Amino acid sequence: MEKILEIKDLGIRFKTDDGIVNAVNGVTLELKKGEVLGLVGETGAGKTTTALAIMRLIQIPPGEIYQGSILFEGREILDMSDKEMQQIRGDKISMIFQDPMTSLNPVRTVGEQIAEVIRLHQKVSAAEAMRKACEMLEMVGIPAERSGEYPHQFSGGMKQRVIIAIALACRPDLLIADEPTTALDVTIQAQVMDLMENLKKEFGTSMILITHDLGVVAEICDKVAIIYAGEILEYGTLEEIYNHTAHPYTQGLFDSVPDLDEDVRRLKPIDGLMPDPTDLPSGCKFAPRCARCTEQCRTMHPDMTVLNGNHGVRCFAALNREG
Amino acid sequence: MLRYTGKRLLQMVFVLLGVSFIIFCLMEITPGDPARQILGPDASEEAVLAMREELRLDDPFAVRYISYIAGVLHGDFGTSYTTKEPVIHELFARYPTTVLFAVLTVLIASLIGIPLGIISATKQYSWVDSLSTSFAMLGVSIPTFWLGLMLMLLFAVKLEWLPATGFYGPIYWILPAITVGLPASAGIIRMTRSSMLEVVRLDYIRTARAKGQTERKIIYGHALENAMIPVITVVGITFGQSLGGQIVTEQVFAVPGLGKLMVEAINSRNYPVVEGGVLLIAFAYCVINLLVDIIYAYLDPRIKSQYSSSVKKRMKKEAAVHEGES
Repeated sequence: MEKILEIKDLGIRFKTDDGIVNAVNGVTLELKKGEVLGLVGETGAGKTTTALAIMRLIQIPPGEIYQGSILFEGREILDMSDKEMQQIRGDKISMIFQDPMTSLNPVRTVGEQIAEVIRLHQKVSAAEAMRKACEMLEMVGIPAERSGEYPHQFSGGMKQRVIIAIALACRPDLLIADEPTTALDVTIQAQVMDLMENLKKEFGTSMILITHDLGVVAEICDKVAIIYAGEILEYGTLEEIYNHTAHPYTQGLFDSVPDLDEDVRRLKPIDGLMPDPTDLPSGCKFAPRCARCTEQCRTMHPDMTVLNGNHGVRCFAALNREG
Repeated sequence: MLRYTGKRLLQMVFVLLGVSFIIFCLMEITPGDPARQILGPDASEEAVLAMREELRLDDPFAVRYISYIAGVLHGDFGTSYTTKEPVIHELFARYPTTVLFAVLTVLIASLIGIPLGIISATKQYSWVDSLSTSFAMLGVSIPTFWLGLMLMLLFAVKLEWLPATGFYGPIYWILPAITVGLPASAGIIRMTRSSMLEVVRLDYIRTARAKGQTERKIIYGHALENAMIPVITVVGITFGQSLGGQIVTEQVFAVPGLGKLMVEAINSRNYPVVEGGVLLIAFAYCVINLLVDIIYAYLDPRIKSQYSSSVKKRMKKEAAVHEGES
């Protein structure tokens, strides 16, 4: 299958008053057409920064993309002019943002906000754009009559659906969903996930789903990448990650999900905190929290080892090394 | 919206009543005898007493206040002690000048302040930004009388481009309007800049970028429409203050406005003119405040829905119904 997105050795840092924040440190990812990739990690692991880099929405300065490349359909995104990038954003690549409460302009009607992206990328009249905007609203399950209402008249779940409608209005080839369900309650979460699954089935949209919810990943992703302190620790197909977990961090993530069948009195968190991005450990970034940590882990930085086919892990003491 | 406006107009009556009471009390405790002021230091004691009798200054406070309010309600603001003209004529002879002056001030202040504030915010830390923030700093620190005199020295005395005093036509308006408008623009620059800086960091600006919108339309569309509310507030305050007359600037440039009239009236203890003038200023301030609040509603639908509380309740019900369906 054709590759739609290829990220190679991406490095992003931010210069702040507290020092240089190393947000993304050599992320390598690839996504084939029609695939859904789950990008899983804790808060602050660099998930959103990676996503914003694909959209070229990192504020420069204070941000800086100091290394790597992002190829979208074979073209280098980091070398594109602002104008080329504006044509791609919202049309070929779109993004669903994390916080529906603040991601809509409070003084424009939701219809206008959906129509805006249609007008930008398709040569249609204002009236035609509005008609299409209403169609999009219906598609995400909001009655078209409500297109003239303002964001404050909608609930959180409905706002998130409006944001999804904006992202999908131009039928993007690549959809980046940044924790699309985090801000929503569980029933609405299920609706949003259904909507995204339909997209995958009906339009074959390639997606990057950013989340820290392993349940959501299992539901719709084909491939999974585990990101930690700005680095991919493990990647593979859904099956490989879930059934042949190789990295101790990934294992820790699974262990921290409470099992419904067992009588669990206490949750099993991974001890410790994510390292300070202004002062990362020199060896394996997970070493300070890892139960299998050795002297080698503390001093040497492990390379990505390919176990078999598409399953890679960045660990000296990987579990299930046989794959 | 209409109901809200009606409610506000009703509130205004009480505000004005309060203002009139306070100013009446203040005049009461101010030392100085109006009768003595009118007749001069050489007048006999009997003449002063007769004058006090004529002006009904010896009536009890409550009687005078109530009869004043009763007069105001009938459109009678009393007679000026000095000119013997009805106060209302005196005020309206001066007021158009003050209104014109205020409009010019606000125009100059906004036309300088809003664009500079926007540029300052979009090019933060650039040389344009440093320049306009230093200008704003200077603007709030320079006293108007000094600025007025300097401008007068430069443009009227040295260059002889503009007349120094008077207020007879557009060419006379320039110096006084700049004198007040320039410092006023400083506040507008600062407010526009900080408001824009706050808004451009918000998530929906990122959403607009993610749509592929051009930077220009993001700044002048999405960001500006959301950043305007505090700016409108400052513009409204500037306008309201200017409508009260520019006491210092009117003196410097000999502009026959309300400010000058009020200073003269206070000095000569001309109670009816002071009271009428303060009421007029308070009324203008209330009207400007109301207008600003109405503009808010047109800028921000969230505020509009707060104003029309009955509509809000209906919408809440509808939202609940929709929620139930989905």
